[in-house]
Amino acid sequence: MSERTDIPKPEGEYFESERFGGLSILLALVAFVAIVLSVVGAVIDTTQFAHSWLFAFAVFFTLCAGCFFWAIVHFAVDAEWTVVVRRQLENIAVLMLPLAILFIPVLVLRHHLYEWMNTPVGADPVLDSKRQYLNWNFFLIRAICFFLFWIVASQLLRRLSILQDKDGNPAFTLKLRKLAFVSLPLFAFCLTFGACDWLMSLNYKWFSTMWGVYIFAGAAGSSMSLLVLVITALRKAGYLKDVVTLEHYHIMGKWMLAFSVFWAYIGFSQYMLIWYANIPEETQYFIARNTESWWYLSLLLVLGRFFIAFGILLMRFVKKNPGELAGIAIWIICMQILDMYIIVLPALHGTGVHVSVWDFTSLIAIGATLAFIYLRIVGRSSMFPVRDPRLIESLKLVN
Amino acid sequence: MRTPSGHKVYAMAAEYPTPHALYEAAKAVRDAGFKRWDVYSPFPIHGMDDAMGLGKSWLSAVVLAGGITGLLTAVILEFGPSWILYPLIVHGKPYTWRTVPAFFPIMFEATVLFSAFAAFFAWQIMNGLPRWYHPMFNWERFKRVSNDGFFLAIEARDPRFTEIEARELLERTGGQHITIVHED
Repeated sequence: MSERTDIPKPEGEYFESERFGGLSILLALVAFVAIVLSVVGAVIDTTQFAHSWLFAFAVFFTLCAGCFFWAIVHFAVDAEWTVVVRRQLENIAVLMLPLAILFIPVLVLRHHLYEWMNTPVGADPVLDSKRQYLNWNFFLIRAICFFLFWIVASQLLRRLSILQDKDGNPAFTLKLRKLAFVSLPLFAFCLTFGACDWLMSLNYKWFSTMWGVYIFAGAAGSSMSLLVLVITALRKAGYLKDVVTLEHYHIMGKWMLAFSVFWAYIGFSQYMLIWYANIPEETQYFIARNTESWWYLSLLLVLGRFFIAFGILLMRFVKKNPGELAGIAIWIICMQILDMYIIVLPALHGTGVHVSVWDFTSLIAIGATLAFIYLRIVGRSSMFPVRDPRLIESLKLVN
Repeated sequence: MRTPSGHKVYAMAAEYPTPHALYEAAKAVRDAGFKRWDVYSPFPIHGMDDAMGLGKSWLSAVVLAGGITGLLTAVILEFGPSWILYPLIVHGKPYTWRTVPAFFPIMFEATVLFSAFAAFFAWQIMNGLPRWYHPMFNWERFKRVSNDGFFLAIEARDPRFTEIEARELLERTGGQHITIVHED
């Protein structure tokens, strides 16, 4: 029922990689320097570096996994509005392949991260009762399986979607839907157990049954924020001007709002049940994070990730203003970084915040590497699926 | 305004064959500057609020007020007795403001409950409900509105309403079965 008549050309829009050659070289340079510094850090301050790297990995892993989630949900529920922004979700999701390579330092430095790997059999009955799950061989096999799934599924997702750009055959949509149905439960499985393996087992005595959902909630909200940022940046560069409208921004803003609430709901449920039951092996996690200087960061996380984000996103005009929504998106991603920091670093500095230079070099190393690869990927296909059967409906979106 | 036979006039109404025709007609009526008029259809039509020139609804503000009322109610009813009036140690938990995690679920529920009440009642009032009878049903054809009829009515209480102008406008936009609808 909209009055839109300016349907984009069937050739689609292409990112001119040459135009951003300078940015690409800069990112490569930054990534190279940061990786060299990281190697130095790994040698001179191994334990601190291992935690910093795991923290940085967790930030970018959750962002990419979240984008993969949104892409498969799009096909599983046959969504309309996502069509115009979907290609960017696919482009970010395929970054799982470089992420798998960037995960190798965690495997190499495992003895500095995971206490249970150094504890001999028989030393701790609590650990011995968990040995069938927490042992190095199984840990490695699981990590390989998880990444194998994410790499295969994200690559397949993007390949099939790009093939459809050529002829617009709706059979690809049906194939992708089947892929999405298979991927959804596998995604939930891999994310939950990945989160338990890599983050929860930093303290093998602690456990939370809501851990997987908690990580997912943060991942989905922050990756939607990342999508807003990527789309806004592309529009600033002059792309997708006629394709993505304020209506799309409005929906992305609604999802950011929804997942701010969902994150708070899950995070609070996890906290309240442990706080109320008051069992030492469960409360130790929050005692470390709610005492000394960690308390201020935990407070900032609760205020920033929920109360501030929720209060601002509740207003409709913010969601319909790309500039303001991008500002909130940056804020939410900063909060996601803080969330991962509070999860990983207290495992090392239980007595208080100890900011290290390797926290920053790790973040920059992984971030710049992925941004560089993203710039290489984004130019290889049209910036939106030009022959998707639901493209017109997505363009005419009104909500 | 009354008809020659003495009936009070409610509106000048017309039927449209398709949702699209109704949508286009709504835009024409909006541009003609009428304020008191409405469209009727069996299902919601996308973009109709823009076509009718309706601004943002006040409902969200009322719901926000309801939510804040609910939150404050829960805060007072929980902290009042447990922190100020009868401070007791329950389950080994503190009885200062630090016991707030135990109170959050109730705060959340009360916020949701009061928001829902505010939304329900404000929505009823904004739609002029409850009412026993709507004047549009004085028109026999209007009974199809819940089946396959698309209607537009320009109400007589609109300051710009004249019988001739309203009829002309409805004719120009492709309205069929144009008629005067009586108030009673």
